[in-house]
Amino acid sequence: MRGGCVVLMVEGLPTNTRGNHMVRARGLAVLITATFVAFACGGSSGGGGSKGEIDIASNLPVSGADASSGLPTQQGAQFAVTRAATVRGYTLKFVPFDDAVNGVHDAQKGVQNLQAMLANSKVLGMVGPFNSGVAKAEIPVGNQAPIAMISPSNTNECLTQTFDYCQAANGYTPASLRPTGKNNYFRVAAADTFQGPAMADFALKAGPPPAGLGITKVAVWDDEETFGQGVANNFAKEFTAKGGTVVDRKSYDPKAKKDFKDFLASAKDKGAQGIYVGATSATGGCIARGQMAGLFNPDIYYFGPDGIGDAQCLKDSGSMATSNMFATQGVADATQNPDAKAVVDAYSAAYPGSSNIGAYTFAGYDCAAILIDAIGRAIDKNGGNMPTRQQVIDAVATTSNFKGLTGVVTFDANGDPTHPTLQLQQVKGGAWTFVAQFSQGA
Amino acid sequence: MIGALARTPATLRNFANSQFATLAGLLVVAVAVVLTIQHVLQHDASYFFQILTIGIADGSIYALIALGYTMVYGIIELINFAHGDVFTLGAFISLALFPMFGITEGTGGLGYIIPLLAVGLITMGLVAMVNVAIERIAYRPLRHAPRLAPLITAIGMSSILEGAMYLWRGPFNLHYPDLLPATRINISGVSIGVKDLIVLTLAIVLAVAFTLFINLSKLGKAMRATAQDRDAAQLMGIDINRTIAATFFIGAVLAAAGGIIYGLYINNVTFDLGFITGLIAFTAAVFGGIGNIPGAALGGLLIGIIAAFNNGYFDSAWTEIVIFGILIATLVFRPTGLLGMRVPEK
Repeated sequence: MRGGCVVLMVEGLPTNTRGNHMVRARGLAVLITATFVAFACGGSSGGGGSKGEIDIASNLPVSGADASSGLPTQQGAQFAVTRAATVRGYTLKFVPFDDAVNGVHDAQKGVQNLQAMLANSKVLGMVGPFNSGVAKAEIPVGNQAPIAMISPSNTNECLTQTFDYCQAANGYTPASLRPTGKNNYFRVAAADTFQGPAMADFALKAGPPPAGLGITKVAVWDDEETFGQGVANNFAKEFTAKGGTVVDRKSYDPKAKKDFKDFLASAKDKGAQGIYVGATSATGGCIARGQMAGLFNPDIYYFGPDGIGDAQCLKDSGSMATSNMFATQGVADATQNPDAKAVVDAYSAAYPGSSNIGAYTFAGYDCAAILIDAIGRAIDKNGGNMPTRQQVIDAVATTSNFKGLTGVVTFDANGDPTHPTLQLQQVKGGAWTFVAQFSQGA
Repeated sequence: MIGALARTPATLRNFANSQFATLAGLLVVAVAVVLTIQHVLQHDASYFFQILTIGIADGSIYALIALGYTMVYGIIELINFAHGDVFTLGAFISLALFPMFGITEGTGGLGYIIPLLAVGLITMGLVAMVNVAIERIAYRPLRHAPRLAPLITAIGMSSILEGAMYLWRGPFNLHYPDLLPATRINISGVSIGVKDLIVLTLAIVLAVAFTLFINLSKLGKAMRATAQDRDAAQLMGIDINRTIAATFFIGAVLAAAGGIIYGLYINNVTFDLGFITGLIAFTAAVFGGIGNIPGAALGGLLIGIIAAFNNGYFDSAWTEIVIFGILIATLVFRPTGLLGMRVPEK
């Protein structure tokens, strides 16, 4: 017995640190080995015990204004981890972080959280971030660590895809965000190159809804943020290319702009039949809708990206929260997927109430499930031992035909899903309701 | 900031007073006016009046806040940075009072005028008491300290108020009930919102009542005397502490009224609203000539109109740059503001 302990220790070290120069990982190996030794030498019962603990972290905005969409997403990820409980004999633990400061997502806070999870050697992957502007700050840090990051909801295309306008419009390119030149970042949501244009196509198609809106003149606004500006530009590009006219293009500073009456007057003056607002509820994307009464024909369409598809938007819209409001969501609706029904029902039982299901709840679930699946494969590849973070990244990258709740996920070389799906929602009876679903490259 | 300017090097003051500076300033204004006219002519007249009424309505709210800044500055030479948050507090308190008086959105009508007035009066009273307490706690003990000290406690008070409102209602956009009628009236082809007219009327009534109070009442006289020479006023038997407290009381009444009018007009408030709105109103006060009461009202209106025109005819991304550009230009070219700064003579 005693001899066995020594052999295990000696064998454990080189196996776990092979191809890895990180001191932390070595510390981890020692820790894991020590756990083994403790088990082996304790010699109480034969097998059945845990081989150790693996942590899956989340880094999402779960307090304040962003909580209405961030918290249900975190719960989705948490549910996936709790449901799996173990992977290949290792106990899974969920470690949530909140990247909101004063109730609004904050890039700096996101990076601090990321550094905290990097210091914890048990964390092998992260679900998040939620916002594209936060991703911009976190990816370089996560890339150098490296650690696998899977975002349920980031949609800005320049995070993963190279376009000539990325540097000028966003101040970064996929390459500049990845100092090591290797990819560690993945997402399940459709990029804005799909989200913006999908809404543009829908607006141009002959109406009435849900077939299309049948309008040719729109005003396009954005909130001067990475996400808002990106999705608004993509909407405008497609709308113009397909024969529509953007009659008014405006940007606003969310901290200062609360009175949108002049924007509304301007849009009306230019004959807009609809307003596309590239913003989120947290940046005041729906305040203007609440100010339309009297100033604008109430039949005017008001539509935007996933950022406005939440309960806060409806509150801000007040009495103008009518069925002429539309929003896209960057992932498919899991409740439309018959294969997902069992899990969705189990989630609803664990987290009852409509406020616990956000647009990205089941995307959060899928992100965590993909990570767990990848960690399992990495453990197999590593001979049943605790994998390194790089091995987990490699396993995530080779995710293929993973049957998630929001769709079948295969990652391309950029870390994007090969067949992103998004859904269109409409306000009906005071809530965002599923209308249609679009798939790209399917 | 203003106090520092009064002590700026002679060269800069000479520049500011020189004819060159006046000419340069006028040239900038002329170019802006010509550009605006050019853009205005590209649209029809009704659009012009629509933008103008929005600007006037926004501007009259800024004016109500600017009056508080300018009055406190006039009397104790303090830029009360907490004033913007006192304004937000007015919106928040009234929002909390509405359900108690059975006021909800969508069931408006003339029957709501009396509860609305009651909410307004209670809000003004509560906010005024808070502002008087702020003066008592944060400014009075520092009245003879260097001028920077109360300025810093003012910023501290601003943070405390914002923090308290954050803890109270959270960081969300709060929907403020839309109680004013949405109807528009046509005056020879130009459509004007009843809402905008109500806002403007309320602001004018408050500003006129306030001006009459300052000029005619005994307390107003005491305030003017204190502003002119605090020590002499005290020797004449004026209770300085009471007079200064009254100044804060009246300033807060106007700010609270501004907060309610803002809520009714914009229909959306957040806890940190006072920061940027306060800065804009402060700019308006400086623009009109800080310490000068008609100047604050004029400055507020002009800033509101300029912002609306910029949003309506030019690129909205420039609005804040234009507003704070005006602040800088005023300080450099005409530190006394449009109507002249009233600094107590000593």
